[in-house]
Amino acid sequence: MTKRLTSLVGLVLLPALTFAELHVVVVEGLPGDQVYAERFDRQVTAISLALRSVTELERVRVFRTDDVSRDALLGHLRSLQSEVRSSDQFALFLIGHGSYDDVEYKFNIPGPDLTGEDIAASLDELPTTDQVVINTSSSSGAIADLVANDDRIVVLATRSGAERHATRFGDYFAIALGDPSADIDKNKRISVEEAFRFAERQVSDYFERNDQLATEHATLTGERAERMALARLGGAQPNVVDTALGELIANRDALNAEINTLRLGRDDMPQAEYQSALLEKMLELARVEDAIEARQEELGANE
Amino acid sequence: MRTSSCIVGMLAVSCLVLPASATARGIHYGAVTDPEILNCDQMQWRGETEQSRFCYAELLRSTTPAAAKAEAAWALSNLKQANEWFRVAMAESPDDHATKVRWGDLFAASHQNGEAMNIYREVLDEDPGNAFAMLGAARVLVDSFEDAANSYLEPLMTGTALNDGALLGAWLLVARVSLENGNYDEATAALLEADELIAQADWPPLEVYALRASMDLLNDSDSNHWTELSLQFNPHFGGIYATPAHFYMITRRYRAAIDMYQKAVDIEPGLAAAHEELGINLLRDNQMTRARQHLETAFGLDPFSPRAVNSLRLMDSYSDFRLVVDTPVVEGEVPIVLRLHEDESAAIAPYATELTRDSIAVFAERYGFDLREPVVIEMYPDHEDFAVRTAGMPGLGILGATFGYVIAMDSPSGRPSQQFQWGTTLWHEMAHVFTLEATNHLVPRWYSEGISVFEEWRTGPNPGVRIPMSVYNAMKDDRFLPIAGLDEGFLRPTYEEQIIVSYMQAGLVCDFIDRHLGADKLRELLVAYREGLNTEEAITSVLKLEPAEFDKLFANFVDTEHGAVLNKLEEWHHTQTEISNALAEDNWSDAIELANGLVDIIPQYIEPDSPYLALARAHNELGNREDALNALQTFWKNGGYDPSSLKRLGHWLADAGREDDAIDVMMSVNLVDPLDRDLHGELGDMLLAADRAAEALQEYEIALALKPHDMATAWYRMAQAQHKLGNIERTQDHLLQALDIAPNFRPAQRLLLQLASGEAN
Repeated sequence: MTKRLTSLVGLVLLPALTFAELHVVVVEGLPGDQVYAERFDRQVTAISLALRSVTELERVRVFRTDDVSRDALLGHLRSLQSEVRSSDQFALFLIGHGSYDDVEYKFNIPGPDLTGEDIAASLDELPTTDQVVINTSSSSGAIADLVANDDRIVVLATRSGAERHATRFGDYFAIALGDPSADIDKNKRISVEEAFRFAERQVSDYFERNDQLATEHATLTGERAERMALARLGGAQPNVVDTALGELIANRDALNAEINTLRLGRDDMPQAEYQSALLEKMLELARVEDAIEARQEELGANE
Repeated sequence: MRTSSCIVGMLAVSCLVLPASATARGIHYGAVTDPEILNCDQMQWRGETEQSRFCYAELLRSTTPAAAKAEAAWALSNLKQANEWFRVAMAESPDDHATKVRWGDLFAASHQNGEAMNIYREVLDEDPGNAFAMLGAARVLVDSFEDAANSYLEPLMTGTALNDGALLGAWLLVARVSLENGNYDEATAALLEADELIAQADWPPLEVYALRASMDLLNDSDSNHWTELSLQFNPHFGGIYATPAHFYMITRRYRAAIDMYQKAVDIEPGLAAAHEELGINLLRDNQMTRARQHLETAFGLDPFSPRAVNSLRLMDSYSDFRLVVDTPVVEGEVPIVLRLHEDESAAIAPYATELTRDSIAVFAERYGFDLREPVVIEMYPDHEDFAVRTAGMPGLGILGATFGYVIAMDSPSGRPSQQFQWGTTLWHEMAHVFTLEATNHLVPRWYSEGISVFEEWRTGPNPGVRIPMSVYNAMKDDRFLPIAGLDEGFLRPTYEEQIIVSYMQAGLVCDFIDRHLGADKLRELLVAYREGLNTEEAITSVLKLEPAEFDKLFANFVDTEHGAVLNKLEEWHHTQTEISNALAEDNWSDAIELANGLVDIIPQYIEPDSPYLALARAHNELGNREDALNALQTFWKNGGYDPSSLKRLGHWLADAGREDDAIDVMMSVNLVDPLDRDLHGELGDMLLAADRAAEALQEYEIALALKPHDMATAWYRMAQAQHKLGNIERTQDHLLQALDIAPNFRPAQRLLLQLASGEAN
């Protein structure tokens, strides 16, 4: 019973993660020089930290440059085949440099590189299809066709293998996972889509402001990118068992659904009427949020 | 006959030379010898237009040789047909060098200089003494601003290659370039030589008349005599007006140039180059409709002209620009019209308007001149658009240009922000508006630039004397020019960095006059130039000094002000290297000691390798935030404008509780990088916290106009500012905008509830 109530609260707070555990593998590739060593280290640290707000520490496996090898990585991915359930989620982050010789993509790690085929095969063998792959390397666009499928969300720093310059996308994607301005809908969670849009915009701004031709164009494919959270601003949500809070949250979600319906119908109603209805719903929602906050404070479980 | 060294000197190619008349088949002075063509040409040169066209048309229908048909087709402006006939002629007579040269001339006339040069070179390979090939090559190279023209002219002038017609063409070319360079004696001598040759061979004197009329105008003499002679000889020779117009234009008297070009096209409506120049100069005078009309006419007559095509394309792009008009609220002020790209106008217009108004107030008082017309300021996000706007062609290295009351410049997004402080550029260009208009455009280049640089340093938005290291190096090498010849440094630079050295020298000259001879002298010099005095006369008359005396005093001033620096330049360069090494090795203490040594040498140095930046970094790495802050603050106060350093300084000041100082610093970043989306939000937050809600609102409005990634926050900030200002309705509207994007946005929800409960702010 206790477990069920906990889940209920989780359900309304994190609908996409209901009953699902998120398993993550983060790989830091070879940097080549000190500048990239620092950048990749910063990205991996930021991403790992952010992920702890949406999953348990033991489900995040980070391969740093000094402990990664093709065998170790593929071995770990094989081991996940027995750990990950079909209802779980899986995220793979590849942070580093990539290369593409017009035939084969390689993610650069010590020893034999990880190929595009390695990545695709490992992902295909996992029990869950609810996956996200985030490859921030140069030439990462080369694996687009290899890893694409109907269920998988794929984020690549370049649109093709021909974009071979070291990328900036990873820096901004990592920043997005901790930046409130990336949280477009202000639900305190950074979804894959929000992080992608933030990083994409920052990359574009970077090249524009420095008067340079853009050498990378990130891509996002997959249907559920807006629903899969990679970070929760303010840290992990405490597990709280409270019926009153659960009801308030359910109430909030219902209001959000009503507001969404109202917004979808805005073109079919006079502007003043829409504004008036929106105001009414927003006030109602604000009051419910106040009540949630108050209840959480009482329970010592602030969001 | 002049010596070759003299010729080389005379043809030092000025950057002001613009391509000569194109497409039109000019007077060839014997390059064509076919009697039937010459018969038609005589009619054309006399202005018997209809008869000559009939004559050429008849030749095209007759069985004349292909080369003559090519000339006839060219004369009738059918360049494609002319090209075909030249091709036929060369197939029939591959060794006919005269025809081949004329084919090259056709390419040159249709703006294909590369092809033309290939042909001239081929002819000269086979016939090294071909005088018309040499002349053609020299003309092309002069129009391309290349000194190599001399190597082609020298054999003509020294008599190695004998042909009177080509020699005449050479003298006319020398006369034109000499006039452009201000060498009137040389021009006069060249025209005398040309006169003699014309008299001997009975060539039409029209081009000589046009150049003589130009010289009279440049000397402020009456040019009517030459105009009348020209019109008597040929009432439809537009060159008699277009050539002087060219000289008006290169001396920045654009309205006078417009009047002359208009007269040129009035008497010779088919003169494409005059329509083109008229259009471009009308653009400079902000007469858009008329400009388009003449540019379109030019394009119709000469579809190969890149300048006409570029200018028309630029005008087409104006649909992406927005006009922002600031109407004066005080009597006597002039309107300010900004033409800004629609994506940038909201972010730039408020600052540009304020800065322009400030500059007008400062300069009107200092120079005793009130503007009489609206000031038009155009800012181009694409630097090449600005270049086309300025010169009709891409590839211009400058940041801004002033044509009188019209300023064109790079917008803040036109260059990386580390390289360009747009606010200072605008201030610089506004000073030009005053110096040009106060002197009826008679101010010499050096003085106009000198005032602009001086005002940047003294009254600009980021004041402080900023001298690049390359200029210190030039000072050490004694490369400053005498005052009487300072214009040469701008117009005919002889080493790579001479233009920037000349800018700085001119600024220092004005600084010297202001501080040691009296600020009123700067104003009096403008009056002297308006009255037509040249620099030597103006210096003598206003400053009561012979130019040589002035040079001596100025040299003493430079020595006093900068002598100590010049003696330590080697130490400076050596220490800079040591600082770089220390920073690279994280050796912060050494970096601090070394940088402090450089600060002692040039305390005001704020270029990208400024020691203050090294000091700030090193102190910060050592945890000495206050010292780091002080270093950056000194950098800023001396005019440093690197936006990332200034934003860091702003944050540090805010962290230190010095909010007002932080605001001042962040506001100055707006004059460097107003398109920085984050800046406006941050600055707005600082202003709002300092109870400066109206200013905060302006920053938030700009942030919103720049379409930030986080629109919900942008709307919420607007709501906050409106709330502080007591505008409840707008606050609610903005909150709903924010919540419409992000319904669960807690701060917005709280403010909405606060509004609903009727709580005061």
